[in-house]
Amino acid sequence: MNTTKITSIVLAGSLLLFAGCKPEIDEFTPEAGSADFTTYVAVGNSLTAGYANNDLYASGQKESFPAFLATQLALAGGGEFTQPMMVSENGLAAARLVLGPSTDCLGATSLGPVIFSDVLNTSNFASIWNGEPFNNMGVPGAQIGHLLFPGYGHPQLGNPYYARFASSPGVSTIMEDAMLNNPTFFTLWAGNNDVLSFATSGGVNPITDQAGFDGALGAVVQTLTSGGAKGVLANIPDVTSIPFFTTVPYNALVLTAEQAAGLNGAFAQLPDINFVEGPNAMLTVDSTAAGGMRHLVAGELVLLSIDQDGIKCEGLGSLNLTTDPPSPNPIPGQFILDAGELADVKAATANFNASILAQANTAGLGHADMNATMAELTTGLVFDGITVSATYVTGGAFSLDGVHPNSRGYAIITNEFIDVINEKYGASIPKVDITEVTAIAFP
Amino acid sequence: MRAIERIREQSLLICLLVLPGLIQAGGFQVNLQGNKQTGMGHTGTALNMGASTVFFNPGAMTFQDTTWSLEAGFNGIYASTVFQSDEFDYSASTIGSLGTPFHVYVSGKITDKIGAGLAVYTPFGSKVEWEGEWKGRFLIQDIQLQAIFIQPTFSYKINDSWGVGAGFVYALGSVEINRNLPLEGLDGEEGTVNLTGDAAGIGFNIGFYGQPTEKLSVGLTYRSQVDIALEGGDAKFTAPSSLAASFPADNKFDADLPLPATGSLGLAYDVSDKVKLAFDINYVFWSVYDSLIFDFETNTSALSDSRNARLYEDAIIIRLGGEFKCTDNFIWRLGAYYDPSPIQDDFFNPETPNTDNVGFTVGASIYPTERLAIDLSFLYILGLERESTYEPSNFGGTYKSSAHIPGVGLSYSF
Repeated sequence: MNTTKITSIVLAGSLLLFAGCKPEIDEFTPEAGSADFTTYVAVGNSLTAGYANNDLYASGQKESFPAFLATQLALAGGGEFTQPMMVSENGLAAARLVLGPSTDCLGATSLGPVIFSDVLNTSNFASIWNGEPFNNMGVPGAQIGHLLFPGYGHPQLGNPYYARFASSPGVSTIMEDAMLNNPTFFTLWAGNNDVLSFATSGGVNPITDQAGFDGALGAVVQTLTSGGAKGVLANIPDVTSIPFFTTVPYNALVLTAEQAAGLNGAFAQLPDINFVEGPNAMLTVDSTAAGGMRHLVAGELVLLSIDQDGIKCEGLGSLNLTTDPPSPNPIPGQFILDAGELADVKAATANFNASILAQANTAGLGHADMNATMAELTTGLVFDGITVSATYVTGGAFSLDGVHPNSRGYAIITNEFIDVINEKYGASIPKVDITEVTAIAFP
Repeated sequence: MRAIERIREQSLLICLLVLPGLIQAGGFQVNLQGNKQTGMGHTGTALNMGASTVFFNPGAMTFQDTTWSLEAGFNGIYASTVFQSDEFDYSASTIGSLGTPFHVYVSGKITDKIGAGLAVYTPFGSKVEWEGEWKGRFLIQDIQLQAIFIQPTFSYKINDSWGVGAGFVYALGSVEINRNLPLEGLDGEEGTVNLTGDAAGIGFNIGFYGQPTEKLSVGLTYRSQVDIALEGGDAKFTAPSSLAASFPADNKFDADLPLPATGSLGLAYDVSDKVKLAFDINYVFWSVYDSLIFDFETNTSALSDSRNARLYEDAIIIRLGGEFKCTDNFIWRLGAYYDPSPIQDDFFNPETPNTDNVGFTVGASIYPTERLAIDLSFLYILGLERESTYEPSNFGGTYKSSAHIPGVGLSYSF
């Protein structure tokens, strides 16, 4: 055997040994820890149902946070997860928004929310109850008390979102139907509407009183844990940081010196009303002010539901020049969250969240601080090179209604729940891959 | 005699099996500039091994036995990196791609004291292609980076023991990068950006070589930093049509890429007529790679310049090698090195997934005639597992890599 041969053998051997052998990292195995995910039930409102873009529709439900979470829990013993699927993509109210070109009153075309289809599919209202309880018991619009209210699924007077899958419409409660599953694990994210409906109506609908909130919350948690189930309670994000309240600036009225002088002339009777060159605080209705109107002040919020063409073309927030003579056109109160209302919203949110945290601690459940997550989102979060913020449309976390998350937002929320589950129950549930979830599809 | 030879062969084989083989380079540096040296753990600062001294130590050029030396060789890099994130139960790997660094050297003695030479080599480069649609695609989908150095060089022999040399480096660099943009169209297609460009830079290579005793040689070299200033590269964007105005399809970009300096100290010792040992230490000035900035010609509300922190740290590579002259026409080589990554744990970008590397080398030279050598080398790089994140993009996990690099060269002296 000569040396040349040895060389060739060694070199060929090295190649065979190493070629095609990829480096390996120890495999990861998801674990349930001390929790049992066999039967997971999600209780809550629109945020649990998968409501997005102003409606509930099938493809949105498939990317609800409980659907995402159930998929991940299935990696550690989680079972089947059923949802009361809508039969169409239009939504129950045919109010679903998509991104599309729209032309405003000035004739300018831009990309914005447009109706997906205004054809109402009445089969969405038909009952889909077939004797099998649903794991996703999220009902859009539900307040905490509604979860225990028998009339809530009444076919005519109740909430149609619940009526369509109630085991006994008008008799059964959301909680009773949830418990038909005999849950081993649950998430409860409720109470948002107890303050949100006040905020989104500009202070028209009332905030739930604290005692009522606490009583209902206690009863719901007691019911959910009655069979020994473990779970996570999520708190209420400060709704005033969501795009619905932050998109239209209070000082959206930008004037030239000439326009300001003209307006000052028209409002000469009201000394407190003053316009200057540049951005101006818009006018709102206020019965306590002279002339029944005043300027908005910094910090007060204009709702996204305001008629934006009205601001552009009909002097909404200042003077309507299309009437003869021109008429003052202050913004009605239901489109404004004023300083007093804001204080009420913040106080109620803080109080309700204190109750939720206390309940979680008393019952030994996990606590997901969605309020903190939402606060982080307003300053921007980064996942795998994707920057996500609470900015309307371009932020990539909220759907086009400005209130509900989009699929990516729901995936981020799911990962917050997973963090809490892993921490509280010593589990190792892998998170949802944010890069695989669509935020907004651009035309 | 035959029995003794066999025992010797067997012990070498055992050495090969036991010695782990350590070899490649930190960051995007490629240390494969001579197949003889690669066989010895890519030592060479104090080795006098023919024409490749033009690269390894220009100070040694006038110490060669013959008037002229020629050398050419190349390597095939089969590298693989795997990524795993337990947080997302996700794993991905790079697609096996072949990199082929090469080198060509000519060295001659004009007089006994003055030498001249030319080197063409590829000391920097990178080729990383992650599997399609992987989780890190908004950071990097694939990158190909290449630099070719052309180095005319002169050397001067101070006396019988000491020599100096210096070369001017003209470098040609080219880059291609593909990334996805986190924007999705109605068809589910994500936006993309393709960046391509080339540019040139200059630098130098100086060396000091000495043979203080008959058996010991020493070397000290400095290969300067080369700045590749890329101007007017092509930045091609694709985006959903409603966003096309924000991402101009035929944009241009400028970028600066510093190729760091390397200072080396080497020792070589002839243990016997048959055995030579070499030790090298390389200090690579990686801290110059602070950030990678793509300055786009056209910026829009959605497209600002891309500033990417790199914050590399200087790195020290330690190399050991030995050669064993079996017969007059056959030489064995072995070596190993430790090459720590210049990348901090918080700034580890999958664009350059450089782990701490241990290299193991084996090589051989076969002399069909006295003047001609066929140089074979094999380098196995074991990339040590590391858990790292690229904080600015919040992308992290566990990385591990390996590379198998066979190489072959020819050298001729007359």
